[in-house]
Amino acid sequence: MSNQNDMAERKQTILIVDDFMVNRALLADMLGNEYDIIEAANGVEAVVAMRDLGSRISLILLDIVMPEMDGLEVLAMMNKQGWIKEIPVIMVSSESTSSTIERAYNLGVTDFISRPFDTSIVRRRVTNTLMLYAKQAALAGMVEDEIYQREKSVGMMVSILSQIVEFRNGESGLHVLHVNTLTEMLLKHIASKTDKYGLTPDLISTIKLASSLHDIGKISIPEEVLNKPGRLTDEEFELMKTHSAIGADMLKSLPNFEEEPIIKISHEICRWHHERFDGRGYPDGLKGDEIPISAQVVALADVYDALTSKRVYKDAFPHEKAMEMILNGECGSFDPFLLECLQDIADDIQNELELSSVSTNANMEINAAVAHTMKADALAPSNRTLDLLDYERMKYNFYAQMSNEIQFEYTLDPSIAIVHDYSVNKLGLHETIHNPMQDEQLLSIFGETNLVKLRKSLFDTTIEDPIVQFDLQGTVDGEPRWFHLDARATWEDTKNGKSFLGAIGKLVDIHESRARLSDLERKATQDSLTGLTNHAYARKVISTRMKSNPDDTFVLMVLDMDHFKNANDEYGHLFGDEVLKHLAKTLRASVRDDDIVARVGGDEFLICMELDADPKPLVDRIYSSISGQYGDFPISVSMGVECINGGDMEYDEFFKRADRALYSMKRNGRGGYVYGVDANFGKEEGSVISTIESDEVNSRN
Amino acid sequence: MSLEVFYASVDGDYDGVKSRLLTEERISKFVNLFFSDPTYQNLVANLDSGNMKEAFRAAHTLKGVTRDLGLTRIADPASELADALRPDENGNPAHPEKANEIMTEVSAAYKKAVEARSLLD
Repeated sequence: MSNQNDMAERKQTILIVDDFMVNRALLADMLGNEYDIIEAANGVEAVVAMRDLGSRISLILLDIVMPEMDGLEVLAMMNKQGWIKEIPVIMVSSESTSSTIERAYNLGVTDFISRPFDTSIVRRRVTNTLMLYAKQAALAGMVEDEIYQREKSVGMMVSILSQIVEFRNGESGLHVLHVNTLTEMLLKHIASKTDKYGLTPDLISTIKLASSLHDIGKISIPEEVLNKPGRLTDEEFELMKTHSAIGADMLKSLPNFEEEPIIKISHEICRWHHERFDGRGYPDGLKGDEIPISAQVVALADVYDALTSKRVYKDAFPHEKAMEMILNGECGSFDPFLLECLQDIADDIQNELELSSVSTNANMEINAAVAHTMKADALAPSNRTLDLLDYERMKYNFYAQMSNEIQFEYTLDPSIAIVHDYSVNKLGLHETIHNPMQDEQLLSIFGETNLVKLRKSLFDTTIEDPIVQFDLQGTVDGEPRWFHLDARATWEDTKNGKSFLGAIGKLVDIHESRARLSDLERKATQDSLTGLTNHAYARKVISTRMKSNPDDTFVLMVLDMDHFKNANDEYGHLFGDEVLKHLAKTLRASVRDDDIVARVGGDEFLICMELDADPKPLVDRIYSSISGQYGDFPISVSMGVECINGGDMEYDEFFKRADRALYSMKRNGRGGYVYGVDANFGKEEGSVISTIESDEVNSRN
Repeated sequence: MSLEVFYASVDGDYDGVKSRLLTEERISKFVNLFFSDPTYQNLVANLDSGNMKEAFRAAHTLKGVTRDLGLTRIADPASELADALRPDENGNPAHPEKANEIMTEVSAAYKKAVEARSLLD
């Protein structure tokens, strides 16, 4: 009872839509405290409010001339979404041109309040409209009750009829129930796999109900045949077989109801539930898809339950055995697709049948009563439901606020994104974004590429796999930031196929954790003392560059400090380290940012450059910039240089050649540099300079 | 100056507004709201810059609210102005040539009302 009182006390909600604040304030003031007032400053906000609150909005006061989306567009959207049937709209506008008013009426407004606003008129029109709609809603409820009562009566008659047959069969009444359950499970599974049979939820529930009647023809079979414990004679079997045609005829001869779906489908099932997929069944010898899907499914359910139940002439087989017999074709011939479906749901079947047996034994009447009560509640959402909904909302909001995420919902039609930014580093996004693909703010943060990618990924999902996840880089306060995106597309299954409704999702700022990761990655590629790239990583990068630019000239300089051992010996290892760091810095400073400078190991370094000019002056300049002093220690370097085209060889060979040149330089007196013998200077090929005449070179030739 | 005298001094429809808004409190609240609202300034600015679509919306809003408040001297020319600026099927204002003349009338009435209102207690 207390719920009912709450219901009466709950204030009705009125949405005032007007771009002019003074107007909204005036109307709200006139309506006073009797209503909950929510306001929208343009059509888009109004549509969002309707989408969020639906029929919890009792009435809308709508202005016509507004920016973004005007009143007529709001009405058009309400028609498209069907909201206009549930929420009455009163037009409030000083726009009094008759064509506008006529269009508004055509689009379904209930009433029109003209300017200037008069307090008593505004109040009166609002209460009248609310009362009118309350009456309509009550009437609609009564019609629904009526329909429900009828459906319930049909269900009751069907179960009485099938029970009569069952008891005459000497069965417990469980068989019909099992066939119901199995039929429903199979149909639902089939519907999830194919559209071929047009199995709507409505049709499934009708077939389920009709399946109860599959054996009504047995009412005309003599009891001694029906319940004969032993094998039937051929004659008796022929008699038994007539039950399918007889049941069908009983239904066909029902006057006035031939067109009722339940009768039509019961007829199909009665007549053809002993047909076989291979065409060798009775009474008509239908084959394959000539047999209606209703009859095919009930036939399979019938056979499964007959096998797993005890009968006068046989014991019950266990589930596994029954499945085996059916799949081996020992108990009839079925559509292989149907058998596949049966296998898919094999585990569920056992559980479900157990459940439906237990509840039957308890008391069918009670179950029916419970089912009835539950269905009645579902028709009119009680206050409790609304309270639960409020509670769920509160819970959801709390978790959302704790989540440190940006959450969003998107609907395609109208194309609106609603954004809740719970993240620590707020992006300052608008909460409601009309046409997000064109939104400047979104574009400036995430860029068109990311938005297009997201949109495409969502459209490419399926009902079975609606999830989209990827990392994306955005720009926040002029700095790049990484986000992780999780989104789920929502699809609707309609008669005309699947349609994309929108998506929900969240964005998590993963910049810090990602930055830590890339820092680790960088460390793994670096020499810890000098901060230069290590050789392994340099090898990887240079190889890649050589492969992708096979025609470019690559210069590789491998160098080594002369008498470095002395630095360590005379000044200690710490000093030695300082010298290495100094040299690394000098090398880095003497080349372009894109060039690679790496520490090969010990006091050996390399420089690799891609050039399109003659390398010799450059190499010379670099070499001379390296030499100098570090404290008292003179820095002198030996260097081997190799010059090739990217496609000439693998990196390892390239390095070996430069390294070999370096050692020949060392052997020939240090403090200088030398080119490998085969160095290729591009255009100037042939003018190779080499100062090497060592045995190494000779031995190579 | 009382509310009633204010209405008399701007040639407004006090009896009408009293019968519609019912309480003096409500009338004075919305008169104040109206004068603190930038709709009139928007109208002037949009007319100056030639943004006829926005000028229409502003004239339309001004007409509505002044009518609600019984400020007839502003409401009447504002209504004429809205008609002159109302976009036709092609989105062009109906009679832009009339706009300036009517606007002079709106402005005169508005300024007079502002002056009178400054004397309101």
